[in-house]
Amino acid sequence: MNLFAAISTEPALWSPEWLPRLPQRLVEMLLGFLGAPEWLVSIAGFLVAAGTVVGVFLGGFALLSLIERKTLARIQNRIGPNRAGWFGILQPVADGIKMLTKEDIVPAKAEKFLHLLAPILIVVPAILALGVIPYGREWTPVSLELGLLFFFAVGSLTELSVFIAGWASGSKFPMLGAMRAISQMVSYELPLIISALGVVMVSGTLSLPLIVEQQGGFHLGFIPAWNLFTPWGFFAGILFFICSIAEANRCPFDLPEGESEIVAGHMTEYSGFKYALFFMGEYLGLFAISALGITLFLGGWQAPLPGLGFLPSWIWFFGKLAIVIFMFLWIRGTYPRVRIDQLMRFAWLCMIPMALLTLPAAGIWTILNRDGHGFLAWAITVPLLLIPCVIVTVIFNRRLASANRTYRFAE
Amino acid sequence: MTPLAMMLTLSSVLFALGLLAVLTRRNAILVLVGIELMLNAANLNFIAFWAFDSPGAHNAAEPVLSGPMFVMFSIAIAAAEAAVGLAIILMVFRHTRSTDLNKLDSLHG
Amino acid sequence: MIPLLILSPLILLAAIGAVWMARPVHAALMLALTLALVAVLYLALGAEFIGLVQFAVYVGAVAVLIVFSLLITRPGDEAEEIERRPRSLVTGLLCTLPVMAVLAYTAASGSNIKLIPWQPKLSIAELGEVLFTSHAPAVLALAVLLTAVLIGAALFAREPDKTQDDSSEK
Repeated sequence: MNLFAAISTEPALWSPEWLPRLPQRLVEMLLGFLGAPEWLVSIAGFLVAAGTVVGVFLGGFALLSLIERKTLARIQNRIGPNRAGWFGILQPVADGIKMLTKEDIVPAKAEKFLHLLAPILIVVPAILALGVIPYGREWTPVSLELGLLFFFAVGSLTELSVFIAGWASGSKFPMLGAMRAISQMVSYELPLIISALGVVMVSGTLSLPLIVEQQGGFHLGFIPAWNLFTPWGFFAGILFFICSIAEANRCPFDLPEGESEIVAGHMTEYSGFKYALFFMGEYLGLFAISALGITLFLGGWQAPLPGLGFLPSWIWFFGKLAIVIFMFLWIRGTYPRVRIDQLMRFAWLCMIPMALLTLPAAGIWTILNRDGHGFLAWAITVPLLLIPCVIVTVIFNRRLASANRTYRFAE
Repeated sequence: MTPLAMMLTLSSVLFALGLLAVLTRRNAILVLVGIELMLNAANLNFIAFWAFDSPGAHNAAEPVLSGPMFVMFSIAIAAAEAAVGLAIILMVFRHTRSTDLNKLDSLHG
Repeated sequence: MIPLLILSPLILLAAIGAVWMARPVHAALMLALTLALVAVLYLALGAEFIGLVQFAVYVGAVAVLIVFSLLITRPGDEAEEIERRPRSLVTGLLCTLPVMAVLAYTAASGSNIKLIPWQPKLSIAELGEVLFTSHAPAVLALAVLLTAVLIGAALFAREPDKTQDDSSEK
């Protein structure tokens, strides 16, 4: 199947670069040694490679659930979990045991099958999306020619599963939460994809490993040649980050599950392990969208400074991932939740026009740089993006954000 | 049965099912579901003729892309059609509080 | 050939579900399943780009739009639908079966010419090049159409009175 445009580089056997693929290679060598047929070897290799990624990110999920609580506690001047183990390190284990042993309740009015299907359909696309990210120079679990398109295609399944969760629960708050979630995700998916398109235009490929490779090297000897450090890339990266907050349903865009308004949105009627699956799907989705942002704008596994290439590349990737995730936590601890009319206006009147503007800017930038007019490229693209950005921000702050909400069912 | 004949039969059955939905459903949104099925049947034919064409029929230097190209445009237009169709249905719903096509028999809103 | 043999019955079953399910939301979800399976068929036939676009557009946008408008309009219960179904099925089949018979007959008889599957490779680079050179007028026309659709749908779906539409659908 030519879907897998395999990049077949054979790395040196014991280099640290190669460490994450050790399980895969060991299984392949073992099966080859036992005389298994070739298709079985490659399938087993794929399975083990996928298992490695799932394992890494499930560990990350457990760790993040603790770190998030600790960070939020620090921001709010509390202590946070500190009973289970030293520094609360065993808290994820305790949470896991609690979730697994809780009673699983299905409402009488629920659609039994769809109610069960929804949490599974939340986790699956997140794991699929994590499979195409290049984590290191030698570590791309599944290297697809159309990786970026694949990411967005499976990511669009999330909306449907949120709808199923909200509808199958057969109750009021999940339905409201699902409606909010769908309108929010559809609205923010547009600028998300458009801001990623600029990168595709410039690099001329949809393959994520190739996009990372094109961001190698340094300007002036020390500024990394990442897409973030170009005018269009800077704006597109910020837009992408804002959209990914909305796509991951994080505060300040966590209206679909705003606990003070609609209990827990589409997850209201879930308990026990199914609730844990929703939780997991959300965190895995957060990892996936941050990893994609790093791949597109922050140079993926490329080292941030010259001379740091001696460390294995995947360490840089996970370092960047930790920083980006911390930004998410920081924002969650700092900003209040927005109102839904502000949220939708912001998407349609600010995000989409600005995202559309990054496309011509990326085109102009590429063409002028190709012809050697580096200074002219800066001189044209920076005002092209900065002036509309200022105008949009000013208008939004003056007119739209402060527009009084009219209440239909309250005084 | 050749693969091409199978694909074409599949798409003709799919088309018939879509037509059945359009003819029997009363809910306007579900009529739209039938239309989507019929559109997909047409798309399947394009891909079938592209995938199972005879190798000698084309100039080897020229890429054969008419099939996928048609499907791409048709997908884009199908999305537009769904958006406008649903918007119209919503507007009708706002007037009559119903999406039942049998109840839309008055000439004045 | 093997993916075709596995997928075609699944596609047909899902499509029958989309046509036959009494509850509107079930029918819409079965439609989403049908479209996803067709996307898998495209992938298996070597048209990966088309398959993924089909998945993103149909499952991610069209199916979501359909279920969302079902949520907004809240169709009544399906008892009436089930009750009048036998009658409508007879009429529907009367009109549909001839169409299907003609189509299937043509498909089965006309394609007896030996066509060898040649499994072409769909290269996106070529696709993009053709799209923006020889097909550029079509792309422009499509862009105009989509813009008109965006504006038109937003105007249609707007609340007629001046209340703020807080959950603007689109």
